[in-house]
Amino acid sequence: MATTSSSNHGADRSAAVSRIVGDDVYARIKAAKVLMVGAGGIGCELLKNLVLSGFVNVVVVDLDTIEVSNLNRQFLFQRQHVGLPKAQVAADSARRFNPQANIVFHHANIKNKEFSQEWFGQFDLVLNALDNVSARNHVNRMCLAADVPLVESGTAGYLGQVTVIKKGATECFECTPKPPPKQHPVCTIRNTPSLPIHCIVWGKFLFNQLFGLADDENNISPNTADPEAAGDNADAGRQDVDGRDANAELSSADSATNNNVQSLRAWAIEHQYHADETVQKLFVNDVKTLLRMDKLWRERRPPVPLDTLLEQSTDGTNDDGPASSTRLKDQRVWGLKECTDVFRSSLSRLAQRLSEEQAKAAASGSSEAAILSWDKDDDLAMDFVTAAANLRMSVFSIPNMCRFDAKSMAGNIIPAIATTNAIVAGLIVLEAMKILRDQFSICRMTFLARKPNSRMKVLLPTELSKPNPNCHVCAAKPRVTVHVNTNTMTLGQFDEVVLKGRLGMIAPDMMEGNRILLSSEPGETDINNPKALSSLGIVHDTSVFVEDFHQSYELTIRVLHREAFEADAQFVVEGQGSVPPPAAQAPAAPAPTPSADRKRKAEDDSDAPAVVDDDDIVLMDDGSASDHQPAAAHVNKKHRLETPADDEDDIVFE
Amino acid sequence: MTSASMIVDRKTQRYDRQLRLWGDHGQAALESARVCLINGSATGTEILKNLVLPGIGSFTVIDSEKVSGADVGNNFFLDADSIGQSRARVVTELLQELNTDVSGNFVEEPLQSLLDNDVEFFRPFTLMIATQLSSKMLARVSEVCVKLGIPFLAVRSYGLIGYLRLQIGEHCVIESHPDSPMDDLRLDRPFPELLSYLQQIDFNTQDGFQHAHIPFLAILLKHLLEWKASHGGLPPKTSKDKDEFRAEIQRARRIKEDGSRAEEENHDEAITHATKAWHVSSIPSEISALFADSNVDNLTATSSPFWIMVRSLRDFVMAEGEGLLPLRGSIPDMAADSDRYIRLQHVYQERAKHDVAAFTAHVHRHLAELGLPLGTISDDDAKTFCRNAPFLRVIRARPISDELASATSKLTDTLNFHLEDPDSSVAFYVLLRAVDLFFEEHGRFPGAGDDQVEEDIAPLKQYVVGLLTDLGVSQHAIKEELIHEMCRFGAAELHNIASILGGLASQEAVKVITRQYIPFNNTFLFNGITSTSSTVEL
Repeated sequence: MATTSSSNHGADRSAAVSRIVGDDVYARIKAAKVLMVGAGGIGCELLKNLVLSGFVNVVVVDLDTIEVSNLNRQFLFQRQHVGLPKAQVAADSARRFNPQANIVFHHANIKNKEFSQEWFGQFDLVLNALDNVSARNHVNRMCLAADVPLVESGTAGYLGQVTVIKKGATECFECTPKPPPKQHPVCTIRNTPSLPIHCIVWGKFLFNQLFGLADDENNISPNTADPEAAGDNADAGRQDVDGRDANAELSSADSATNNNVQSLRAWAIEHQYHADETVQKLFVNDVKTLLRMDKLWRERRPPVPLDTLLEQSTDGTNDDGPASSTRLKDQRVWGLKECTDVFRSSLSRLAQRLSEEQAKAAASGSSEAAILSWDKDDDLAMDFVTAAANLRMSVFSIPNMCRFDAKSMAGNIIPAIATTNAIVAGLIVLEAMKILRDQFSICRMTFLARKPNSRMKVLLPTELSKPNPNCHVCAAKPRVTVHVNTNTMTLGQFDEVVLKGRLGMIAPDMMEGNRILLSSEPGETDINNPKALSSLGIVHDTSVFVEDFHQSYELTIRVLHREAFEADAQFVVEGQGSVPPPAAQAPAAPAPTPSADRKRKAEDDSDAPAVVDDDDIVLMDDGSASDHQPAAAHVNKKHRLETPADDEDDIVFE
Repeated sequence: MTSASMIVDRKTQRYDRQLRLWGDHGQAALESARVCLINGSATGTEILKNLVLPGIGSFTVIDSEKVSGADVGNNFFLDADSIGQSRARVVTELLQELNTDVSGNFVEEPLQSLLDNDVEFFRPFTLMIATQLSSKMLARVSEVCVKLGIPFLAVRSYGLIGYLRLQIGEHCVIESHPDSPMDDLRLDRPFPELLSYLQQIDFNTQDGFQHAHIPFLAILLKHLLEWKASHGGLPPKTSKDKDEFRAEIQRARRIKEDGSRAEEENHDEAITHATKAWHVSSIPSEISALFADSNVDNLTATSSPFWIMVRSLRDFVMAEGEGLLPLRGSIPDMAADSDRYIRLQHVYQERAKHDVAAFTAHVHRHLAELGLPLGTISDDDAKTFCRNAPFLRVIRARPISDELASATSKLTDTLNFHLEDPDSSVAFYVLLRAVDLFFEEHGRFPGAGDDQVEEDIAPLKQYVVGLLTDLGVSQHAIKEELIHEMCRFGAAELHNIASILGGLASQEAVKVITRQYIPFNNTFLFNGITSTSSTVEL
């Protein structure tokens, strides 16, 4: 049965596939030009399955490079590939297997202009193997514009999902709004943390303040503008002003106690990132500033400065048991002294790294100042955040947490394993084959559950939903209503946080009547950026027309003025967030999720696994959350705990 | 930094994303596992790939075949240059490259001769996996695994069809990771610390913020106690009672200056979750069944820690627990001020710790009586066991050899039940057994040659009909077109189906090895034509 004739093996290789799928379909597979977006967890499996199912024309796009934490599942990569582009290594590995296959790779962001509508139009099929909503939204729009069928997918731990999107025939990726990212109230983070997550967020902010992109959004210093600190008589008007503006006002008036952003970075530079002085400032002096805001502590346990804590603690070790009792140092809660030491040493090493980066940038003649970006898989950065957060937890009498759990929280990590990706990639190819047979009617959205449901099903296929006629992307004339404070939001903010941030545009042009208010041409309308919307004539009930040429996307936005928003929101897009979504679009699925009320969450795969997205802080499941950080697993809703949007985020299909 | 801690760090990094699913104890179990794979088929190598990547201890491939052109076509780990070489060796070498922490071994001796001459060869394995075996060999491997007490997973890709079968003697799961466990709140049986917490809450506060941030559990408990006091000690029973109970909470909202009721999210939550007030704390039936297991009454020095702990749990229930399991100690999210929320959380946690201590005392007493060292069960083990007490599971998946030997009435009933649905994937269970009967007589599978598809349909149908008769199932239960499909498949193994099956099988293998999550019991069928599946106990 075995043959040694290599001239024969080509025939053997295809024989089984062509026989089972049929000669005509096999011919289509051979001729099909396929785009695979993402070469991470799902991507590695998918590329293998494509090549072994007879696909020969595949283009792979991925912007990431390979990291160690990918290697437990992204099997096309090995240790020697760490640091290399995923798209390149994946394409090379697959090509080596089948030299006849024409696999082209681009180590690039799929949102780049080079990947135009015409470029998308050359493909018979687009397969997403992505890890974030923003890129999924973009590819969705490009496929709608070019009218190319799209297979969308995601995995999270043991859960997975595959679905098909076809212009005009099915729901598009954006027909069901995803919940917007939520924020922690500024005052809770800066003044009155009560849960580990508040301190973790503070620690990440602190990293950015000291080494990264420091801006008002991540100020960590005591906020004397806290309305609560002003007492019961705080005027209502003040609470409507968002914390940032109030703070800016105050910081000029009272910069001694209300250090603004520039001053923390400036302070650190002035003190040459001196470790002891930084500890003294953050965990002693700033805490004393907070203590002076005595109204905050009438109903709360006041914080205790670190120096007092260190005096009180006998040996600084934690009572959680000796280090040797756990296998991984990661899973041991550090003592107070250890935290201080780790904070000091990681601070110094990060400062050192920053100065090296700056020297490098200066040497290369770059005009931009070098900064460090926070990455959960960067051990030093993670050490710093763990230590800073734990010191703050100690100051505020919050139970400490180990580095492993801190990383879950700080990185919004969704677990990822090879098995789920393998199943999902296989299901993608099954859907791809149906599309190539023009059998859209039998395409399905398939959900992979963790264990059989009550009807003993682990794979749950459901019929595809029809397009949502009110979708702000795929409707014939897309429209959306946005509530915003037109007096305080500038055009520049509207561009960044609403048009690009929430509505997923790349390079929008915005018109009101015949006036061009915002142009995607660099520089053309910069003069408008700092102006409030109302001063540009966008007031209550103004309609503006926005167009993104790259995405071939046109949208009419009705702007409604609103003074105040919940929590720290700056705007509300109707149908998303607090306003209930139109009822029409719940898929008539047999509630297949393991926990019917939980959102079906799919994820990532690609590089850093995943991430954020909606309302849960992702920790180890249910009963397995470790004991010593109890508050973490159960989050106090009042605080609207939520993970600030990380670089990667995740999706929810609902 | 010592080299040992460097290794730990390297592993932590590499395995980070999976440690979040099964923890470091799950990882340790994986790293000490020895997995045996029969047949380095596409399905087999996909399974091993998914086990080598997360870092099992070692694997051994048993395969006497040489690499063929068809192998190269469906197996990512084989290329044209390997044709004619030992499949066991080539596959092992390539899998080994995926993770240098894993030790790979191969055996070229035919399976038949190992089974005939060297059954002891199999003894060291933690888990046996066989791929692409037909019924007859499956039954033989099954018997060996029963004899040696090794869990066994059989996997098969056949055209667009997939089959998975688990056989396991007694599989005890402490961490079953239930999807959405009921909260264990004990409002019906409040413990003293909870009552004293309640007393400290000022329900009459004039402070609107304070009133709107009383944890809803406290509101529920207060109203429940008041209700019971005025209803002869009984909780709300009828739906009228329950409506009235909710109305009482409604009336407890603060009255604003304009005379209207304040909108208070905590009261909304109390009303929404009012069922928690009359929820009766009890022991789940699965756990009561475990208490009745003969292993519990007959502890010996060779009893497993699991059964010693189940016995201790029963002792706790009958003594300190006053009829209830140890308190789990977690509470749901709620609109509340942090301080009172955290104190409430603390009340539950302290009670849970107290229960763990009482349980652990029972464990120590039993260990001492059995003459076992106290370290046999660590305090951490005891704590984990208590936290998971309502979710303990014991799975027994019966031997494949028994299933194949004769049709029991249970098997007949199960098949009849499922085959009433003409589209059930269970039809492929019958069809796979029928193609094996065909194979035994013809020495090849139906449709194995391109020109044999049509001519094999009629004979295969005869086997299907005969088998259905033997199994006591209606002869019309299998659609004619499925018989055609089976012939068209010609027993070919498609990579894409192998990939899906490989993913599903390795997922179950991880569950078995880590003893976390509940493995399926005991047969899984996948239909790649429709992307549907079924799990049945056969």
